[in-house]
Amino acid sequence: MMNEQRREFIKKTALGVLVGLGAASGLVPAFSLEKTVLPVWDEKPVPGKIRWGMLIDMRKCKEGCQQCATACHHAHNVPDFRNKKDEIKWLWQNSYQKVFPTASQQFVSKEIQDRSYLALCNHCADSPCTKACPTEATFKRWDGIVAMDYHRCIGCRFCMAACPYGSRSFNWQDPRTAIHEPVTTYPTREQGVVEKCNFCSDRLVKGQQPACTEACPEQVLTFGDLNDPRSDIRRLLETNETMQRKPELGTKPSVFYII
Amino acid sequence: MMSKKLIWIFAVTAIMLFAVLNVFRKGEAETPPPLSVHKSVAIDSTKCIAPASFMRANHMQVLYEWRNSSVRTGNRVYIASNGSKYEKSLNTCLGCHSNNRMFCFNCHSYANVKPKCWNCHLSPMETP
Repeated sequence: MMNEQRREFIKKTALGVLVGLGAASGLVPAFSLEKTVLPVWDEKPVPGKIRWGMLIDMRKCKEGCQQCATACHHAHNVPDFRNKKDEIKWLWQNSYQKVFPTASQQFVSKEIQDRSYLALCNHCADSPCTKACPTEATFKRWDGIVAMDYHRCIGCRFCMAACPYGSRSFNWQDPRTAIHEPVTTYPTREQGVVEKCNFCSDRLVKGQQPACTEACPEQVLTFGDLNDPRSDIRRLLETNETMQRKPELGTKPSVFYII
Repeated sequence: MMSKKLIWIFAVTAIMLFAVLNVFRKGEAETPPPLSVHKSVAIDSTKCIAPASFMRANHMQVLYEWRNSSVRTGNRVYIASNGSKYEKSLNTCLGCHSNNRMFCFNCHSYANVKPKCWNCHLSPMETP
C-alpha cells in the first residue's frame, strides 16, 4: 500500500515537471507567443527600426537626362524661378568638384571628373541641420529621414549654414508664383521657409518608391532600408565599392554613390 | 484505472504543448523583416469625425493635434470616440467638405480670423 502511493506520487511529479518544461521551453526563453501577435497597422512607428537610404549608381546614369529631378520637382510642387539666385533644389546635378570636393581618390579619369553628379539631401544619421534648427522645424524622423515641419520653420536659415552639402533652399519669394504645373497631391511652401528633399516620405506612407527612383529609366537609384541586411541596397553596398559625400565630417550620410 | 488514463492525458498534452511552442519559435526565426513599412489602412471618410457642434468649437485643436502627431511622430491614424478610424490629414476634412467652396471661409471671415493653412495647403476654393 505504502509503495503504491509512493509510485503514484513519483509518476505524477515527473509528469508535472515534464509539462512545466514543455511550457517553459516555449514561453520563458524566447517569448515566442507574444511575438506572433501582428499589429493591425503602424499607429506608432518604432523609432530607429528603419533607416531609409539611397544608392546612386552613376555608371548607369545618362548625361543630360533630367527625368528624376523633373519627376521629383513636379511631385512636390517645387518652384522654378528660372534664376540661379532664387533656385529651389530638391534633387539636382552638379560637377565632380562640387559634389565630391574632398574625395580621397587622386588621378581619377577625365570622364569621371567631367561628368555631372546627382545630389540631394543626404538624410545624415548625424545631421548637423537638425542640431542647428532653433525651433525643431527640421528634425530626425523615426525612420532616419531628416524631415521638415514647414509649420514651424521661422526662416532663420541656420540649417542652411549648417548643412555641408547645400541641400537646403530658401524661399525668398512666394513659391506659388513659380510653380508651372501644380499638383494637388502635395502642399506648396510659402515665402520665408526653407525646403529640401523629404526622401518622398509622402509616397512612402502610401507604400510607393520615391518619385526619382520610380522615374529613372536606367535604375540608377536604389532605395531601401539600410538597417535590413537583406534589402537590395544593403546587398549592393556589400558587393560594390561605394562612396559618400564628405564622409570625413562624420555626418554619416544615408546617400551612397558608385562612380 | 483512472489515474493511468489521467497520466496519459497529461503526457500527450505536455508533448503537444512542447511541439506547438517549438513550431512557433522556428516560424519566428524564419519570418523575414517586412520590406514595406506601410500597411494598408481602411480609412472611413464618409462620416464626420465628431458632431458639428464639437467641430465648430474645437477644430483648431483637432487640426493642431493631427498636424503634430502625423508630421512629427508618424502616428497618422485617428480613432474617433465611436471607434472608426480616419487618416490625420486636412484632406480627410476636405474630402467631404470640398463640395462647399465657402467651407472654412464663411465663418473665418465672420469671426475675422486669418489662419495660414492656405498659404501652403490647397483650400476648398482651389480644389478642382
